[in-house]
Amino acid sequence: MTTQDKVTPTTPTEATETPSPILIQMGIFAAVLFVSSLISPLFPASFPVPTPVIGLVLLYVLLATHIVKLRNVEKFGDFMISLIAFLFVPSGIQLAANLDILKAEGVQIVLVTLIATIILLVVVAYTTALFIRIAKKVFHMNTDINN
Amino acid sequence: MINLAVTPHMAVWGKWLGDALGTNAAGASAGNAIFGIFLSLVVYLIGQWLFKIGKGFFLFQPLFVGMVLGIFILFLLAKAFGTTTATFYKSAYLPGGNIIFWFLNPATIAFAIPLYRRNDIVKRFWPVIILSLIVGLVISLFAIYGVAKLFHLNDVGIASMLPQAATTAIAMPIATAIGGNAAITAMACILNAVIIYALGDWLVKFFKVNSDPIGAGLGLGTAGHTVGSAKALQLGSIQGSMASIAVVVISIVVDVVVPPFASLMGLH
Repeated sequence: MTTQDKVTPTTPTEATETPSPILIQMGIFAAVLFVSSLISPLFPASFPVPTPVIGLVLLYVLLATHIVKLRNVEKFGDFMISLIAFLFVPSGIQLAANLDILKAEGVQIVLVTLIATIILLVVVAYTTALFIRIAKKVFHMNTDINN
Repeated sequence: MINLAVTPHMAVWGKWLGDALGTNAAGASAGNAIFGIFLSLVVYLIGQWLFKIGKGFFLFQPLFVGMVLGIFILFLLAKAFGTTTATFYKSAYLPGGNIIFWFLNPATIAFAIPLYRRNDIVKRFWPVIILSLIVGLVISLFAIYGVAKLFHLNDVGIASMLPQAATTAIAMPIATAIGGNAAITAMACILNAVIIYALGDWLVKFFKVNSDPIGAGLGLGTAGHTVGSAKALQLGSIQGSMASIAVVVISIVVDVVVPPFASLMGLH
């Protein structure tokens, strides 16, 4: 895995190119979502893969194969990402419909969720750090990262 | 239905407000999405303003303020209209809320962009990334199971807590399959995002998570879903890229790992 193919900064050069008109960018997003929504029902009910997850993979594949260029999607995509916290407001307010669940076992569930969130963050982060150290020490993998 | 209508004069006002909010049958088609969109924006903007004047106090994170304030306003309005909060939420808020909610679709696939921007890291580290997410999730599942037992959650509660690392649309059917309550799981997924959004910076500092940028990204994406990815992007491009890949891979890993884990623990 010590491939030296330094993916030389394709990003900055592409970013300086003129971005596609915003409607075309939205069109690409809509097309990716549409194709994903056709693929999603093909998965069995016991192994659900929702449309946005397929869409993320699909758009990544399109970018990695250079079928879609960064300048075709970057402006709209970065805008959507900047909105993500606001887009979660309706999900948060959705708890208003479930206040009766919270009345029953609410405090325990919220506390367990809080601790579970911290567990997931810390355990995954530390496990990764450990495996990267093993990859470096045992398999002599080059783990230097240039930010 | 409308308790506001104490006098005939007020009945007019009650009907007018009910029509506008879409809580009357007559107003169900017209204009009722506007209230949900307006309320979402107002409570979020109040959150941003509080966050600014509160000098970044973590409880004033706009998403958290927006959620609490939004629920509180719906609760008060439901009282004024003499209905339950859940009913008022469904008739008055949900049509507008659903429109905003829909935009999570393009916002989620947009994370392919920061993922691709650090494709150099993805290409070099993908085996480590996948292995870390699988092992990290299995360890986390044991810990979450233990914590849930410690808090005396019943089997339904425990089963609802296990799939929360996946995105909501994957976590809910899995919760049902292993004998949990999908509504509780959805709540946990939302709370994950709110908690990471509010406490993420502090947690990253306290546990020195960022000493390994790849680990920080994978952790934030796993624990906070797409909101965690947005937080990770603030730490750097590698963290953002890794959080984006974590959102996808951890969902698939949950799909595969959680059902056998649940039967191992004798949950269903």
